[in-house]
Amino acid sequence: MTEDKSNDIFTFPKWTWVLRPGVAVAAVGGLVYASVVIYLGFSPKATDVGYMPTQPVPYSHALHVGQLGMDCRYCHTGVEQTARATIPPTQTCMNCHSKVRANSEKLIPVRESYATGMPVPWIRVHDLPDYVYFDHSAHVRRGVGCVSCHGRIDTMEVVFQAEPLSMGWCLECHRSPEKHLRPAEFVTKLDWVPEEDQLALGSRLRETNNINPPTDCNTCHR
Amino acid sequence: MSSLKPEKGMQYWRSLDELAQTPEFQEAVQREFPNDEWDRLPPATRRQFLKVMGASFAFAGLTSCRWPKEEIVPFASRPDGRVPGVPEQYATAMEIGGSAIGLLVTSVDGRPIKNEGNPLHPDSLGALPATAQADILQLYDPDRSQRLVYRQSGQEFVKSWDDFAAWTGENIAGTGAGVAVLAEPSSSPSVARLRARFAEVMPDGSWYEYQPISRDAERAGITIAYGRPLRVHAHLDHAEVIACFDADPFFDHPAAIPMSRQFAESRQPSTQGISRLWVAEPAFTITGGRADHRQAVAGSAIPRLLAKLARELVANHNLALSEQAANLEPAFGPVSSEGDAFVTGLAVDLMSHRGSGVILVGPSQAPEVHALAAVLNQALGGVGNTVSYTEASDPERPSHMQAIADLAASVASGEIETLLILGGNPVYDAPADLGFTDLLAKVPNTVHLGLYEDETSQRCSWHLPRAHSLEAWGDGRAWDGTLTLQQPLIEPLYGGRTVAEVVAAVLAESTSNGYDIVRETVAPVFDGGDFEKSWERSLHDGVVKGTAQPLVAVELDGSGLAGAGAPLAELVAAAEPTAERPELVLTADRKVYDGRWANNAWQQELPDAITKTTWDNVLQVAPPTARDLGLSEGDVVEISAAGSSVELPVSLVPGQAAGTLTASLGYGRTAAGTVGNSVGSDVYRLRTTSSPWLVPEVDLRATGRNTILANTQDHFAIDAIGFGARNSRISTLVREVSIDRYLADPEVIHHMDHHPPLVSLWKDKQYEGEQWGMAIDLNACNGCNACVVACQAENNVPVVGREQVINQREMHWLRIDRYFKTEPGVGPLDVDDAEIAFQPMTCIQCENAPCEQVCPVAATQHTEDGINAMVYNRCIGTRYCSNNCPVKVRRFNFFNYHKNLEEVEKLQFNPEVTVRSRGVMEKCTYCVQRIQNVRIAARNDNRPLRDGEIVPACAQTCPTRAIAFGDLNDPASEVSRLREDNRAYATLVELNIRPRTQYLARLTNKVGGGKSSGRAPAHHGEDPTHGKETG
Repeated sequence: MTEDKSNDIFTFPKWTWVLRPGVAVAAVGGLVYASVVIYLGFSPKATDVGYMPTQPVPYSHALHVGQLGMDCRYCHTGVEQTARATIPPTQTCMNCHSKVRANSEKLIPVRESYATGMPVPWIRVHDLPDYVYFDHSAHVRRGVGCVSCHGRIDTMEVVFQAEPLSMGWCLECHRSPEKHLRPAEFVTKLDWVPEEDQLALGSRLRETNNINPPTDCNTCHR
Repeated sequence: MSSLKPEKGMQYWRSLDELAQTPEFQEAVQREFPNDEWDRLPPATRRQFLKVMGASFAFAGLTSCRWPKEEIVPFASRPDGRVPGVPEQYATAMEIGGSAIGLLVTSVDGRPIKNEGNPLHPDSLGALPATAQADILQLYDPDRSQRLVYRQSGQEFVKSWDDFAAWTGENIAGTGAGVAVLAEPSSSPSVARLRARFAEVMPDGSWYEYQPISRDAERAGITIAYGRPLRVHAHLDHAEVIACFDADPFFDHPAAIPMSRQFAESRQPSTQGISRLWVAEPAFTITGGRADHRQAVAGSAIPRLLAKLARELVANHNLALSEQAANLEPAFGPVSSEGDAFVTGLAVDLMSHRGSGVILVGPSQAPEVHALAAVLNQALGGVGNTVSYTEASDPERPSHMQAIADLAASVASGEIETLLILGGNPVYDAPADLGFTDLLAKVPNTVHLGLYEDETSQRCSWHLPRAHSLEAWGDGRAWDGTLTLQQPLIEPLYGGRTVAEVVAAVLAESTSNGYDIVRETVAPVFDGGDFEKSWERSLHDGVVKGTAQPLVAVELDGSGLAGAGAPLAELVAAAEPTAERPELVLTADRKVYDGRWANNAWQQELPDAITKTTWDNVLQVAPPTARDLGLSEGDVVEISAAGSSVELPVSLVPGQAAGTLTASLGYGRTAAGTVGNSVGSDVYRLRTTSSPWLVPEVDLRATGRNTILANTQDHFAIDAIGFGARNSRISTLVREVSIDRYLADPEVIHHMDHHPPLVSLWKDKQYEGEQWGMAIDLNACNGCNACVVACQAENNVPVVGREQVINQREMHWLRIDRYFKTEPGVGPLDVDDAEIAFQPMTCIQCENAPCEQVCPVAATQHTEDGINAMVYNRCIGTRYCSNNCPVKVRRFNFFNYHKNLEEVEKLQFNPEVTVRSRGVMEKCTYCVQRIQNVRIAARNDNRPLRDGEIVPACAQTCPTRAIAFGDLNDPASEVSRLREDNRAYATLVELNIRPRTQYLARLTNKVGGGKSSGRAPAHHGEDPTHGKETG
């Protein structure tokens, strides 16, 4: 019986057959590799931490907060009352800068904004997705320090995002707030360390102030 | 153990299709998502599929690792006290039908986003009707006029206010010869003051006041009875018997909210009994839906019915009418009430409640009917108790119909050179016999001030953009005369101006901006004292305290009544309309009113309270009349009267009087905007000055066409287990019982369902801390739809359009189910009259939620405080949750309904609630954003939550306060108290879903008791778990 060789062109040549196990390993390995790369590459730790956009005005927190000792709440006034910390209006800057460094070149956009009434277009650094509703006052009033989420702003010349701010990261604290609680009066003290063990202090504060952070979905997603 | 034979309850159904169990209905009920077919997509070839998939894979790689950068733009100088992102509320007002209603508008970042009622305002009491809730959409309507337009010789020029001022300086001068103003009626003292200035400065000019929906018949009737036009006030909190003759005081009245609330309170069960409502009307209204006894009577037969009542009272109950009314008696002498149970029963009731009964007549009835009612009220002793009167603000004014007819005559005779039309839309809504459109062409100079470039503006030489009520300084008076102040929430978006400002500018007054005008008007009211302080206080409150009109003592006017005898007799003798020569009743639409809200998408999509029709107006026909004429649902007919004809689709509505047809005004507009154009048919064409409400003997001709109505009455019908089984279940969903039965056996509501002991697959959960629950009182709810629109405004619920509503895809989180009730055994072909029951249905937040159990991605979960949370970002759109929901309250975004919105429309969105895109499920969340914000504020201040501090949008706006919300774990909260009430029950208890929302049964008060909804319990003997509701 003659063999039908018309389909032979679709068959790999014999010498390639030895490569078959390698192909299988490469396929599975490649899949695993791709998954790991995507998982790590797209995680907030990789994409968000370290984000440091250039601002229209080279405002230095290291100078104003670190050196001069301004409290966070002098400018971010909404942080204890409302959901948003609020970026200060140009007026707040001019409170000092109408006299201090009144002719500085770096402050031209600020003076221009104050004169014309147009805002200074700051670039948002800590940006949560639109379907997340975060409330600052609920955290700041209850003893979560600014540094817990924003890092050592008082050492930053240009603000960058220090923490991933991912949902998993938020849930970590919500599930065990005693790891990060501090007495409410030290909330804006970025270099504060507890005198006693953090867990002991945190548990006590939790107890006293009846702090039970919810982990329900609609706490943040509404 | 004795056992009583269970008594058969009423049968409940929502549409005649359901009652008849048509194959279409069966099919619709079988499918969760009807018409969900793939034939919409073009057939996909393999090549196309790969192209699409390839493209999306490519783009997946291109998406940046971080989302686009976002800017934060703070103020340069932040206004004092303003915190970005924090909502504030300001008191203001809006006018509907010439009477002001107080608003508290929520404003965030300088733009208003939600209307709420002002608790200090007597006509609002903190609540708002659906129309006022929807009005905020008009502010952000992209179709609003944004410019001044001047038309000359076929060309259009865009002008400025200065150009208009220059033009008026040239063309409107001197003593006003040839100048006429046509204005909408307004209770504004500022406008009244400027009108007086107009009469002073331009004595040769004339001012006409016109609106299509008018209460002038009542005014004329009171003039006949009391010699001068007084305003009628009904005090339903003192009324034990209320009789409405073609009147709808709970909806179609400026003081509808206080009246419906007083009525709801008078229905609370007490051993002294509750009030009783008798209604006679041609078509179902909101008031008719609440009636204990209702008679469907043709509009032209109402005078005869009232005359019968008068005769019955005088002849058989020896009611002594005052001697001034002696001339009326011959008019109702000949009629007999024999065999008319409605009249005889009402007469008995009124006589046994002398002094606490009231007879109300609607604005579409002739003045003589109102006069007769006033006479009867006086004889029954209600004056000063259930009904009282105040002086009218301008007693000399002619009726609106008279005014527009006079203006038309002046124009026809060539007297008018310049016509200023301030507000209103007379080209669209003037009576058809006047030919106003053609008349307008005769006037050389015409000016129209309007919110839109509407039908009237397009035919005027000048169009001026009007300021919306939320952009304006102004004032007004409530129905009882309380002075109400209006302040703007936002600067006019398009430079619009108010009526007062335009008149002041035309008269070249020194103060012509709204702020100064209002301050000038209000100054004399604050007699003495610090003006600024009083001004600030009144602006803050929204009302000026103590400015309600005083009640006046009244005496019947013999001469007026003498003249009414003959006209009344004529009305009483009117022939009854028949199916061959039917009568057309024209009504103001419950959604778009006179047409002003035709471009309002929320109102168009709102299912009408009674017919449940959206995006259309229909010709309501009584089922027996339709059978006689061979008409079925959706048939397009042509109605002709007064030389015009209109085509309308037919809708069979039980409870419609035989031989009458009802159609609502306000549709068929041609220049409303993209939403309102060509929706429905314009019935104003059939309206004449002689028959503005009841058009006798119309010609009806079937066109042979049929159209599908976007009607929601059959939507979300609860599963296909057969009509009998479903009917018995529905009667336990909407529970009603007569007050006598309830007082005799308070447990009757709890006994209305029987189920075996309930076992759950899951462990019973302990709920600690705050647990949210809701109680909806069906005894207070009158189906007005305010809650539906409030929810839509608060939660960014999208509008889907007519086609999608037909596909059962409307997005309202809250729907009002409307059931018709007939006696058992009445088949679909025999349906004549019916009663109505309403049930607002929304996510009832089941503790054992069937939806939570089937979500494959856990996008819907139960929270610690008992809410069924919906997480939009997690949802992948399998729709299994909606499939499993027994009450069908979940809504799926089949399309991205927000995709094509203009930027200005997005300003209305509530920033506290996510705006959902395509592919996610949504549902009622108990207004979780309100709960969270109040809870965070309370925790920050370390204080407990107060009962009543958290109010969901639906509860906030309900005129009758039917919805209560609060913490179930707080025994002192109102909602806990209501849950313990004997009338409280949960829906679908047998499914063990344990809903957090419970309903309170409705009480009926028919003479001699009446049928309750469910079967009476067969006596079971003692069983401690029997009748205990869980959840």
